[in-house]
Amino acid sequence: VLGPIMVAPAVLYILLLVGYPFFLAIYLSVSSADVSTSGLGRFVGVDNFLALFESSVFLTALRNTLLFAAVSAVFKGFMGTTLAFLLAERMPGTRLFRFVILLPWTVPIALSSITWKWMFDTQYSIINWLLKAVGVLEPFEVLNWLGDPTLAMISIIAVNVWRGFPFGAVILLAGLSSIPHEILDAAKVDGAGPLTRFRKVIVPMIAPVLFVGSLYDLVFTLTDMTVVYLLTLGGPANSTHVLSSYAFLVGVQSGALGRGAAIAILLFPILLVVVFFVLRGLRRREM
Amino acid sequence: MAVASSVGRRPSYWPRVRKALVVYGGLTFYAVIAGLPIYWMIITTFKPDRDLYNLQNFPLWFNQNGVTMAHLELLFNRTGFNTWLKNTVWVSLAVVAITLLVSVPAGYALARLRFRGAETLTIGIFMTYLVPTTLLFLPLVKVISFLGVFDKLQSLILAYPTFTIPFCTWLMAGFFRTIPHEIEEAAMVDGCSRIGAIPRVILPLSLAGMLTVAIFAFTLSMQDFVYALTFVSSSDQKVVNIGVVTELIRGDVFFWGSLMAGALIAGIPVAILYSFFLDYFVRGVIGGAVK
Repeated sequence: VLGPIMVAPAVLYILLLVGYPFFLAIYLSVSSADVSTSGLGRFVGVDNFLALFESSVFLTALRNTLLFAAVSAVFKGFMGTTLAFLLAERMPGTRLFRFVILLPWTVPIALSSITWKWMFDTQYSIINWLLKAVGVLEPFEVLNWLGDPTLAMISIIAVNVWRGFPFGAVILLAGLSSIPHEILDAAKVDGAGPLTRFRKVIVPMIAPVLFVGSLYDLVFTLTDMTVVYLLTLGGPANSTHVLSSYAFLVGVQSGALGRGAAIAILLFPILLVVVFFVLRGLRRREM
Repeated sequence: MAVASSVGRRPSYWPRVRKALVVYGGLTFYAVIAGLPIYWMIITTFKPDRDLYNLQNFPLWFNQNGVTMAHLELLFNRTGFNTWLKNTVWVSLAVVAITLLVSVPAGYALARLRFRGAETLTIGIFMTYLVPTTLLFLPLVKVISFLGVFDKLQSLILAYPTFTIPFCTWLMAGFFRTIPHEIEEAAMVDGCSRIGAIPRVILPLSLAGMLTVAIFAFTLSMQDFVYALTFVSSSDQKVVNIGVVTELIRGDVFFWGSLMAGALIAGIPVAILYSFFLDYFVRGVIGGAVK
């Protein structure tokens, strides 16, 4: 009897403020609810969804979300993996390096995003200055990082990668240190090179960790709107919206709760597909 | 013989030197990438506007006009920064209290008291942590208006436990599992009931766990942006993240010096706190994945 009583507050809290809103989101997505009316709006069936698929901004946001997640996963994977192996050496001074390298993950995302906005400033961009200093840009060349659709998308991805790669490294490092030394030594004796050891021994052994880590990061990447909101507000000309920032624009700023909820709900199948592929990819590795 | 064998080869310390070069080189590369924005934050905070907006200047260090406190002065004296800080601390402490009250008993029950469905419930609670805020913020607008706390700090105090409770329950369950059963049983043999054993034996042993959970509830609350942006718009009810990024921009004018000062003051303490406890966070995230 004691068990259920002790869990009850947690379960109740989750049911009331996660479970109920979750189903409310589903209901809102098929309703005409908006911020000004007090009720839940009229049932409108799949109208919201139909309207979305006719909206070019929505389609751009959908494409951006997928592109954004895929490209930044590749970069984060590469940077996180190399960094994990560097940290695993545990050379003197690693702790200090670790603190600095973890800053992107530990500083609140809103505050670092606004810093990046300043770094991408049209006139005083430190990025442009650095690129000139190393000779990539001509002295009077200026890249308008947040004003050009392609560059703006690159900037958003860069900030997401910057934020996420230290976390990837730390997760991987935790996995690495759980592998017994004997196994790696045995593989070495059997003539496996570093790359083979990584693919055939390390990855299968830490597959569950990789799975949970990448799942966690993908959920964050697919649903985060902070970077987009603060860097570009979806601009220029709505070209850099992702689903979450567009949901915010439609649902909160324009007040169309129902339409906004429909956008947010559409994230869910994407998340499920991603989870499925991550899971399947790792299963295949294990065999 | 030793001399003869090393002739024509590189000295034997070479592999170690090469390895050190690769490792430190790589770490430095990543540290520069990771640290540059923070460094830029610091420089901007203390650099006078005259130097900040002068393209002839070397941007990575202070210039002819030296160091200034003007941006900090503006931030503290002419914005609501003090109020936002106070609000943030108040919201975060309330969230910590709610999280501890709810997560500690739940974690204990899930780890120790075998009851039907405990296992499913553990996984279920962790999965809710993965339900994104993006999905919840719109319906929560309705819930929060219904409760009459829209545009009030209380809305955040209600909303943040939706992500701190699942994560912290999961963490606490992990902590309780590491305490040997025997200790509890010994206390019960000595005449304690289970309810008596919890405050006398178990809670003192899990203080470290509770401290970790408290720090996490605190830092996770401070990481949020979406809920605070959606639920609160009055200046005197803002938390620091939102205040800094919304009120130091007037139309097209960005007060970069003060913006960076605010980001620095609000961000760095969280970063330090967080990185001390990061190992626990990682253990929480990968949880059952490592045995």
